[in-house]
Amino acid sequence: MIIPITVGVLTAGAIYLMLQRGMVRIIFGLSLLAHAANLVILSAGVTAWRGEPFPDAAGAADAGDPLPQAFVLTAIVIALAVTVLMLAMAVIGHNDDTKRMPETGETHRR
Amino acid sequence: MMTSALLPFLAVLPIAASAATVLWRNATWQRIWLLAIPVLTGLGALDLLLQHRETPVIAENVGAFVPGVAIPFVSDTLSALMILVTSLTVLMCLVFMTITGESRYRLVTPLVLMLLGGVNGAFLTGDLFNLFVFVEVMLLPSYALIAVTGTWRRLGVGRTFVVVNLLTSTILLIGVGLVYATAETVNLALLVGAGSDPRTMLSSGVVLLALSIKAAIVPLHTWLPRTYPATSASVMALFSALHTKVALYALYRVTSTLYEGQPPWIMVLAVLVGLSLVVGSYSTFGERVMRRALSWQMVAGVGHIMLGLVLFTQFSLGAGIFYMIHHIITMGALILGAGAIEQTYGSGRYERLSGIIRRDRLLTIGYALALMSLIGLPPSSGFFGKVGLVQASAQAGGAWQAVFITLIFVGALGSLVAMQRLWVGVFWGPDMEDYLPDSPETGRGTTVALTDDVRVTPRLLAPMAVLVLTQLAMFVFAGPIMQVTTRAAQGLVDLQPYVQAVTG
Repeated sequence: MIIPITVGVLTAGAIYLMLQRGMVRIIFGLSLLAHAANLVILSAGVTAWRGEPFPDAAGAADAGDPLPQAFVLTAIVIALAVTVLMLAMAVIGHNDDTKRMPETGETHRR
Repeated sequence: MMTSALLPFLAVLPIAASAATVLWRNATWQRIWLLAIPVLTGLGALDLLLQHRETPVIAENVGAFVPGVAIPFVSDTLSALMILVTSLTVLMCLVFMTITGESRYRLVTPLVLMLLGGVNGAFLTGDLFNLFVFVEVMLLPSYALIAVTGTWRRLGVGRTFVVVNLLTSTILLIGVGLVYATAETVNLALLVGAGSDPRTMLSSGVVLLALSIKAAIVPLHTWLPRTYPATSASVMALFSALHTKVALYALYRVTSTLYEGQPPWIMVLAVLVGLSLVVGSYSTFGERVMRRALSWQMVAGVGHIMLGLVLFTQFSLGAGIFYMIHHIITMGALILGAGAIEQTYGSGRYERLSGIIRRDRLLTIGYALALMSLIGLPPSSGFFGKVGLVQASAQAGGAWQAVFITLIFVGALGSLVAMQRLWVGVFWGPDMEDYLPDSPETGRGTTVALTDDVRVTPRLLAPMAVLVLTQLAMFVFAGPIMQVTTRAAQGLVDLQPYVQAVTG
């Protein structure tokens, strides 16, 4: 039961943060959502604690399903890369609360 | 010459080239890679397409694991056709990019090559999780591409693009996880018909929801017309040829395998598809900038393409696939044409442009042909695209027949009038007196009196001309091309060869 509740709390927090104005809060929200997604995938293979997914550590019947763990590993790597990119985007560009144009060295007109 | 062992290389080769162009940043070297890779993947896809006349499906289980456990790469007529058409369009976008000099921006070459690798991978993968991975490989360079080209607006809309697409990718990931939890596999060949189990039906619904956002189906479309026009013309043409089309391809593939064409929410989808047709066409009226108007036409195009899937007969799927390749090529021509105008005169706004019909005759002829193709008037590929969809709707019978045929005509009428506004605003009217030239110091900030020698150069026009000629060829050779799309549709209806090739 602990995994579904955790997923629910993470998702609720993610939605709250994503509805805020600032880019940094949106990034925190998306990171929380990525965690929620990872837990959903993990629960697809590991509903209760089972052994490590290695043939010599646990028998085939007790071993956890390695595939969701591989999924999650891939997803974590992707989420990290995107988070770094979004943090860079939060630094460049204009302020979300004002309509000030960024200093790009060009003069702008419509 | 293409064998099954070479299938992964259609995805690996662009990604490896991307790495090579990061490490060695010689301008000539980068340009060679940039233009050679789409040519190579296009030739590979053409060869696959010819082979599929005899062998309908070619599959490769990477790493020689047991089929079902291994990572499958599968090519059938549909995926080979998609790679061929996208490679051609991408090549023209990249030629345009080279001419405008955008390809010399820092890291643009490796980013575009990585994008191409992700797209080819998404077309070839036979596994839902790998679909997610390749969609991410496709999106990550796009996040950067949208930020390095275009107007200052890109910095704001880049955020919208990243946030919407990342949220959608997370939903897709959750959906794939739930499919694994309920069906115990994410291999498409093993998932055939799995949608009849109510639990898998629900979990794959999450996958379809995510793909619908990525495909920009009304009412999940609003991100597209707000983000695409803010980037540069060549990047917008790349995105329009690749992003939504990958999502549409995946919708075709997933719906036909998991539900064998009969998802329980086909009614909901039918209503949304009808809405997309009309909302996309009529929203074009609100825009006074060329590429913004075109971005709404992309939403209308999504409605047309999805119509083929909603009706789900072999004929309607074939018509939908024909419309999809027509739409990729025509949209590419229109956006690159708008890009040529913007590059020369410094603006795409209707009120800043006028009288181009007298300045640039060739461009005008090409643009007129492309606009006719968009609306569906002969002589153009769009004519046969719409004829196919109307015929498919007529075969559906019942109330759908009347509703869909009416919607196609009402949508076409809206597009026609909206595109006339573009035509009147940009091509007709008095001669232009000033323009906004590109200057290294001030960007396009200062108005300068227009002299007679400022014209759209033939070089700038060439990529668009190639795409316009391609769609004219699709009009002339509609018969043979429809045979190919019908074969592609057959692969979606009759899944036996697909399953046999993957599971061995």
